[in-house]
Amino acid sequence: MGAVAELPANQACLDRLTSEVINQGLCVACGACLGLCPHLIFLDGQVAAPDACGLSEGRCIDLCPMDPAPEPAARRQELHQALGSSYQPPIGPVIEAWQGRAVAADLQGKVQYGGVVSELVSLALEEGLVGEAVVTVAGQRGVPQGARAKNRPEVLAAAGSIYAGGGALGELNRALAEPADHSLAVVGLPCQVLAIAGMKSHPRYPAAAQRLGLVIGLFCTMNLPVRGLRRLLQAEGVEGPVLKSDFPPPPAGVYQVWNQSGLHELPIEKVRDIRFSGCALCPDLTAELSDLSVGACEGRPGLNTILVRTPAGAKLVERARKLGRLELEPAAAESMDHLQIAATNKRARAEQARAERQHG
Amino acid sequence: MADLTKLTPGQRTLLQGNEAIARGALEAGISLAAAYPGNPSSEILESLADSAAAAGIYVEWSANEKVALEAAAGASFAGLRAMASMKQNGVNVCQDFICNLTISGTKGGIVLVTADDPGSISSTNEQDARFIAKLAELPLLEPSTPAECLAMMRFAFELSEQIGNLVVLRSISRLSHTRAGVTPGALPASRPQPYWDPKVAWHTLPTVLRHKAMLAKLAKAGEIMSAAGFNAYSGPERPELLVIASASSALYADEARDRLGVAERVGLLKLGCTWPLDEALLLRHLAATEQILFAEEVDPFIEDNVKALYAQHAPELGVKRFFGAATGHTPPVGEMSPDVLAEALGKILGREPATVDAAYLERVAQRVAALVPPREFGFCPGCPHRASFWSMKQVLAADGRDGLVSGDIGCYSLAMLPTGFQRANAVHCMGSGPGVAGGLGQLRSQGFDQPVITTVGDSTFFHAALPAIINARWNQSDFVLVVLDNSATAMTGFQPHPGTGQTATGRPGSQLDPQTVLTALGVPCSVVDPYDLEATQQALYDAVQAGGGVRALILRRVCALVQNKRGGHPYTVSVDPDKCRGENCGCHRFCSRVFRCPGLAFDEAAGKATIDPVVCVGCGVCTQICPAGAIQAEPRKEAAA
Repeated sequence: MGAVAELPANQACLDRLTSEVINQGLCVACGACLGLCPHLIFLDGQVAAPDACGLSEGRCIDLCPMDPAPEPAARRQELHQALGSSYQPPIGPVIEAWQGRAVAADLQGKVQYGGVVSELVSLALEEGLVGEAVVTVAGQRGVPQGARAKNRPEVLAAAGSIYAGGGALGELNRALAEPADHSLAVVGLPCQVLAIAGMKSHPRYPAAAQRLGLVIGLFCTMNLPVRGLRRLLQAEGVEGPVLKSDFPPPPAGVYQVWNQSGLHELPIEKVRDIRFSGCALCPDLTAELSDLSVGACEGRPGLNTILVRTPAGAKLVERARKLGRLELEPAAAESMDHLQIAATNKRARAEQARAERQHG
Repeated sequence: MADLTKLTPGQRTLLQGNEAIARGALEAGISLAAAYPGNPSSEILESLADSAAAAGIYVEWSANEKVALEAAAGASFAGLRAMASMKQNGVNVCQDFICNLTISGTKGGIVLVTADDPGSISSTNEQDARFIAKLAELPLLEPSTPAECLAMMRFAFELSEQIGNLVVLRSISRLSHTRAGVTPGALPASRPQPYWDPKVAWHTLPTVLRHKAMLAKLAKAGEIMSAAGFNAYSGPERPELLVIASASSALYADEARDRLGVAERVGLLKLGCTWPLDEALLLRHLAATEQILFAEEVDPFIEDNVKALYAQHAPELGVKRFFGAATGHTPPVGEMSPDVLAEALGKILGREPATVDAAYLERVAQRVAALVPPREFGFCPGCPHRASFWSMKQVLAADGRDGLVSGDIGCYSLAMLPTGFQRANAVHCMGSGPGVAGGLGQLRSQGFDQPVITTVGDSTFFHAALPAIINARWNQSDFVLVVLDNSATAMTGFQPHPGTGQTATGRPGSQLDPQTVLTALGVPCSVVDPYDLEATQQALYDAVQAGGGVRALILRRVCALVQNKRGGHPYTVSVDPDKCRGENCGCHRFCSRVFRCPGLAFDEAAGKATIDPVVCVGCGVCTQICPAGAIQAEPRKEAAA
């Protein structure tokens, strides 16, 4: 995999992951390193490596989207090339841009914005395009976690965002390790989609290349660590597990969180203070290495923006539209302009943060 | 152990040193014996327990050594002969009582047996417990052979009654566990009826006067001991070198002298009574030589005291040269040996010690090494402690705040080694785990945010942990107490303890549950099976996160060796080589390299994990750590429920 920097001879991959990512506070709990091997564990939103692995050719550091060694643009360029797409900042390759919503009544009240992701994943399973989908669900103790959905009810159980690192890609790695040949769909944040692209093109991860059939990216400005979020919410008097949360588009300036007692809003600044440090280095707003990416539609709370990037993504969206599952309209030019600006700004902030980090 | 009352008086038999001590006590007519187990002392009380019914005496495993000696003192006050036995660490536990008992004095003969462990073969230290005799001004006996163990025990009770004070007999590992010919004597036909005249009080007041009386007792003891025949000299009248030795070192010195062929030049003064020293005897022998070598284990106890005696009499004795620990001729640490003394003798006398050909020694070493399976010093296969410390390691790593484990004494002390993933950050003495944790847990206000776990075994819990737990509860310290409840005092040989409900002699006792005790103390407490790794880790994590006081988790699973005796573990474990990831990314020998149960092996030829069917007990825990599901556990048909 060209985008992966060569490791110094005999340096254990896990040592590098630990010293250069985890111990540097860069881990965003995407889960790309989890489920590969027993050396990496995940508990209450935290990745840890209690024991040495000793292998210098392990995959964990290769797949980590937060590995600081590769230059971000070069890494993404090479991954696009490896996947047969092209590197087109700031929002990545787009062959179609839509805004719309899912029609089905069973999605109402559960989904984020228009419910497009839940509907597309559900349809991909129904149509047999994929055999399973790896999604993020709220665990029993309020900690998000990866889960596998095989049907619509299981997809709907994962509907709605939590905005906390749940290590969901660990479940993808576990699924890929099983002796099966069905395709997998994955829904992920930009960091996770970057990791998935790395998996698909990794020379020692053939199952990923063979079985990853659909990658749906989510727009993301930042993600939150489970423990930090819990402390913040406790301090703010928000009790119990988080059922759903949201960063509504500007100019809202708030973090919305739903628990058993309903909606609570916190100033965005308080939440930004506890976000993953690694999120500051992420240049990607729209998960540019996906088959299609979905996010909020500015000014229209009930709709999603959908960026279709690959023929596979286009085919699925078209099928959903034809079946009447999605109501779609071309994305408004003004909305796309704003998205481009937001994405450009995120890239600029990330570059600045990276430069500051490199220069102390 | 055997019922020692069945031995035939006058008929020579093989006895272990500890058995000889026990037989000596029986012949002396003890009525009560109490102890806390600990290698190398345990067989003393086990022998007495197995003889108790036939002898008609009371024998108990006590909750700790202090209680054991106090129980013996109670019997002494009631006019009975009694004893307490312990390993060297236990002497510290009862030191406070000893230092008061020696002032109050005693009635019935009472003997404290300390079995020390030079070389720390199975101890956390190699403390020389002889110093208690000097500290508390008590008579000290040091047998060299099992026969002497028996004889000295009989003598010790007589001496105790003659002076009205406690007598200390000190054994060591090599003596306690050596078997040699012993000729038992007769058992007493009867023992006194216990009675404590209420007009008599045993206490330390007026202290100074009683202290003075105590010193007089010691002086009297010295006179009696000097006539007891336990100190003996062999060698020329005016030796070129005098070796003063005690215990096994006296035997080693004799052997070294023979090996060098210097019997005509070297005298050996074997001391069986080492406190108070027989000054007249020593002065006589010091006057007859110019050079003196000391041979003893571990500390220079005799060496320093003889030098002090010499200093007092130097004008009459003239210049002498002393060799020993102070000059480096004998080691100040570890065990003594004939080789060490042969080398010392050779160095002093200018003789090359007769040595075995180095090449031959090397060949022997290689041959012997080839016979020894390459196994590390670690937990047994199936040991629940391995699972417990695995979970602690995982949870503290995931917690990410550099959590600490304050360990304690028991099999689980091995957690300081790789077998326990080096997850014991401190190990000292019985009960010190929660004590140290209690201090750490008070540092929160000063910015100490590292989580603290402390581990105590179920026997240790009752032995010495309770005061520390109560202190922490009282002062609201912040730590997680993990009681590693394997329902056994496993490390010392499965002696019963308060949590087992059994007693030393097999008579049912009251069973105390740590959970009930903790609940009564107001310590929140839950019980989890450490074999269930996920449940244990979740419970442990929750406890670590909870903060705000002492909270307890009892990891309860019977000791693997006890389970083996009860019919074994439930599974037959195997590895599916098709699933095993071997050395590839995704595993890299995780089970045998990281989890390290000795039942797990790696087939180098096949590049796959495998189960050693001889070693594996079938607990099935390793199935939970295999990332590929390659380790499989099938129910064993003949498994116990």
